[in-house]
Amino acid sequence: MKRIKKRKQAVDPIYYVIVSLMAVLFFAFHTLSFIKGIFYSFTNWKGYGNWSFVGLRNYIHIFADIDTIGAYLFTFRFAIITTILVNVISLLLACALNAKIKFKNTLKAFYFLPYMLGILIVGFIFNYIFANLVPAFGKAFGIQALSTNILGTNYAIWGIIIVTVWSSCAFNTLIYTAGLQSIDTDVYEAADLDGASGWKRFKYITFPLLAPSFTINMVLSAKGYLMVYDQIMAMTDGGPGTSTTSIAVLIYKKGFGGGQFAYQSANAVVLFVIVVAISLLQLRILEKREERLG
Amino acid sequence: MSKVSIKKEHYNWPITILLIIGILSFIVLPLYMALMIAIKDPTDMNHILALPKVLRLHNFTDAWKMTEYPRKFFNTAFITIVNLFFTLITNSFVAFAITRNRKKSKFFRFMYYYFISAMFIPFSVIMLPLVVQANTFHLDNIIGITFLYVVFGLPMNTFLYCGAIKSIPEALDEAAKIDGAKPLQIFSYVIFPILKPTTATVAILSFMWTWNDFTMPLVLLSDSKQQTLQLAQYVFKSQFSVNYNLAFASYLLVLLPVLIVYIFCQKWIMNGVVAGAIK
Amino acid sequence: MKKNFFAIFAVVVLGVGILGGCGKSNEIELFSSKAENKEILQQLVDSFNESHPDTKIVITAPADAGTVLKTRLAKNDIPDIVALGGDNNYKELQSAGVLADLSGEDFVTKVQDSYLQMVYDVNADKEQVAYGIPYATNASGVLYNVDKFEKLGLSVPKTWDEFMTVVDKIEAANEVPFLLTYKDSWTGLCSWNSMAPDLQPEGFTDDRLINKTTFISTHQEIAQKYLEILSHAQEDFMGTTYDDGNKAFASGEAYMMINGNWAINQFITANADFKVDMFAFPASNDPSRNFVTSGVDVLFGAAKDSKNLDVAKEFIAYMLEKENAQTYIDDQFAFSAVKGVEQKNPTVAGVKEDIAAGKVANFPDHYYPNGFDLSALLSEFSLNYVNGVEDKENIQTFLTNCDEKYDIANVD
Repeated sequence: MKRIKKRKQAVDPIYYVIVSLMAVLFFAFHTLSFIKGIFYSFTNWKGYGNWSFVGLRNYIHIFADIDTIGAYLFTFRFAIITTILVNVISLLLACALNAKIKFKNTLKAFYFLPYMLGILIVGFIFNYIFANLVPAFGKAFGIQALSTNILGTNYAIWGIIIVTVWSSCAFNTLIYTAGLQSIDTDVYEAADLDGASGWKRFKYITFPLLAPSFTINMVLSAKGYLMVYDQIMAMTDGGPGTSTTSIAVLIYKKGFGGGQFAYQSANAVVLFVIVVAISLLQLRILEKREERLG
Repeated sequence: MSKVSIKKEHYNWPITILLIIGILSFIVLPLYMALMIAIKDPTDMNHILALPKVLRLHNFTDAWKMTEYPRKFFNTAFITIVNLFFTLITNSFVAFAITRNRKKSKFFRFMYYYFISAMFIPFSVIMLPLVVQANTFHLDNIIGITFLYVVFGLPMNTFLYCGAIKSIPEALDEAAKIDGAKPLQIFSYVIFPILKPTTATVAILSFMWTWNDFTMPLVLLSDSKQQTLQLAQYVFKSQFSVNYNLAFASYLLVLLPVLIVYIFCQKWIMNGVVAGAIK
Repeated sequence: MKKNFFAIFAVVVLGVGILGGCGKSNEIELFSSKAENKEILQQLVDSFNESHPDTKIVITAPADAGTVLKTRLAKNDIPDIVALGGDNNYKELQSAGVLADLSGEDFVTKVQDSYLQMVYDVNADKEQVAYGIPYATNASGVLYNVDKFEKLGLSVPKTWDEFMTVVDKIEAANEVPFLLTYKDSWTGLCSWNSMAPDLQPEGFTDDRLINKTTFISTHQEIAQKYLEILSHAQEDFMGTTYDDGNKAFASGEAYMMINGNWAINQFITANADFKVDMFAFPASNDPSRNFVTSGVDVLFGAAKDSKNLDVAKEFIAYMLEKENAQTYIDDQFAFSAVKGVEQKNPTVAGVKEDIAAGKVANFPDHYYPNGFDLSALLSEFSLNYVNGVEDKENIQTFLTNCDEKYDIANVD
């Protein structure tokens, strides 16, 4: 830390006023809510009426509750599969869109369209597709696997994944195309001369240069998918059984509806710790990777 | 992909065709299906994808009346526009204040980390206590929820704006300062205009967030007069019952404004999103 | 840029003004947890509003009403009037102490005592105070397609064995006996609720509460018969929604549906000529034990602290007027809790006698602790069945789960 500036410049008070004002508001509605949540997690409050402190009981409870553990397992499974699928498909799409194709901008615009549509309504539309269109198709062609509503089977998670992939690929594809466009074509020409093509070229040249886009997508994806909520409310309501109940759905349904306000507050705190841990871990790994590749 | 063909000025038709097939089957098909259902009579549902025997636009007027579309549209538009307005002016200035004074004062450095670290708190974590809190302050209405959007968007937007402001040379402010400009003037006449691309990004992200948000209205807006378009679709789910034609007409009415905006600003939107994310 | 901002700002200010203006009139909120009665309720509310020009009652009937209601409880934002089932939703509001004591009102005397007692039973500590006024009652059992039954020469079964004979005959004719709609998991509760009162030991719900008994030691037969029903259901019953199922049933795709009278007006909407009747689910081979499951379908309550409490009471009194009570049950194919109001529609003739004779049992799940989500467990149980898990193992796991989850929910 070198102090080059000799005199400390005075900061205009207006900066303090406005930043403090926003900070106070932010504290009062965001941070305070968060702190209150932590507080509630040590009580047995139901959201109304009397309460008392129960120490760590809610936290201990979490690790013995099959519903909560099930919700975590579902959410992780969902987040991992979706992150991988979305990124693979987006990369493929981005490469295709970056190729020398006709109607490039129109095609790109179409592929970005799902980003604009609210996932709740997309969920409703796919709900109908899974319940009517797909089974009708399955029956017409005698395909047993397709003739039932996937949302009523063990594979309901895949129904949710499909919808999520459908609406998330748009954003990720766009980021990857932007990354691809920034790659200098000279690099490819050099690679061509060296005889690298196809997969090799992708692996050694394209992908490393896409690393920053990859990092962004991975971090944003993982955090978003761990919070999966809208599409589940639109499609399965957590069922069949509790097989598609995500943590966010569980907190909402049981926190308000099941009289477990305090218990679900504890669950929310655990969720927070997990999200922070995963995000930090991811950033670390991906940054290291980027350094190595770059 | 042969090496030689890339060099020539030929279009890669196989990939173009594959992409078009992809669009038709994955993006156009679901929307086409939604449209077909929305313009049919309930008795005409044997072939879902076929064109309707009789065009029935009645579904749209029925859905319009049933969900009280104009009011819900107004609510959603109100939240979106007011949020946009306040988000853009306040969040950008906060970011400006923080970036420019980070080196001079611990306070702003602390604020930077305070806001950024809040990005790690997902909404589900604060949902339960927030509902209680919002009630205490009577924020369970569209004005309150708009206010909350402005506040909750702060971490992400500060992050985006800070990145952009950092790259604006401080010499610009200095020059204005020497001319006797006050911070607010420097900001609104010098900095804010330069920030246009980032402002575009923030605007799009905020717009998409508030227009399509479902969770926050669900837990905060209880009065049916205050519902947003998205929430209304959920609330009416059970009342649409088996009348899918009505339901889909209603869904399309909600998607329509966004589609129109997209058709006209598609390039601008795509560039905005990229600019923000790549920063 | 600046001009634009001012333009937007002007719009905003204008908007706030308009909104502020809207909220002034004296609006009273009626929160209803049922989707099926929205129309008739609206009709009655409209005529009430007409005769009371200074007030306006507005109905809120959201999807997933239970959760929404409890969210509002957490916000201490209680609707002025509530129209709920005599179930956990009511229980939660009542035990939170936000409902007004209506015992002193004149209209209480208009209501049948047995139903009032049913409401008392779900009050915290079974307090004998009318926080909720029972309005309509329901009947859960087997809904059957009358025409199809006649065509095959089937008669209404009185015992489980007869029931199974009917099922065999239907299957022999290559048709589907049951149409189930388990995509909406609450419908999975219907056959459970119909069987449990017939087959569970006397006093089970009370004994279970104080851990004197368990599901696994008493509910084997119920679980077994539950699976038996599944084996005669249509394909993909796990993926069929309640709405789609009602429509399919009304178009004659199956012989029977295990649900309640509340589904009937949905059938009629889908097919106006549909002929349907009900019978009590014959779970036992002893006909005298085969009760109709009947509970309070709609009760009215008023918020204690509402500034419109008087209007709320007036509204409840209005709804309880004979004429209005009749209009309501005629539309809903329900039964009235109001003395002297009778259901005459043939579509529920099969259970009417039992109800009149008091051969009814309340829904067992109204007595389970709040937070014990039996419908999710039943849905999992059914899913395992579809996946080919062996019955014995499946039943064992299911009942063990029931006991475990019950204990967790029973803590507070």
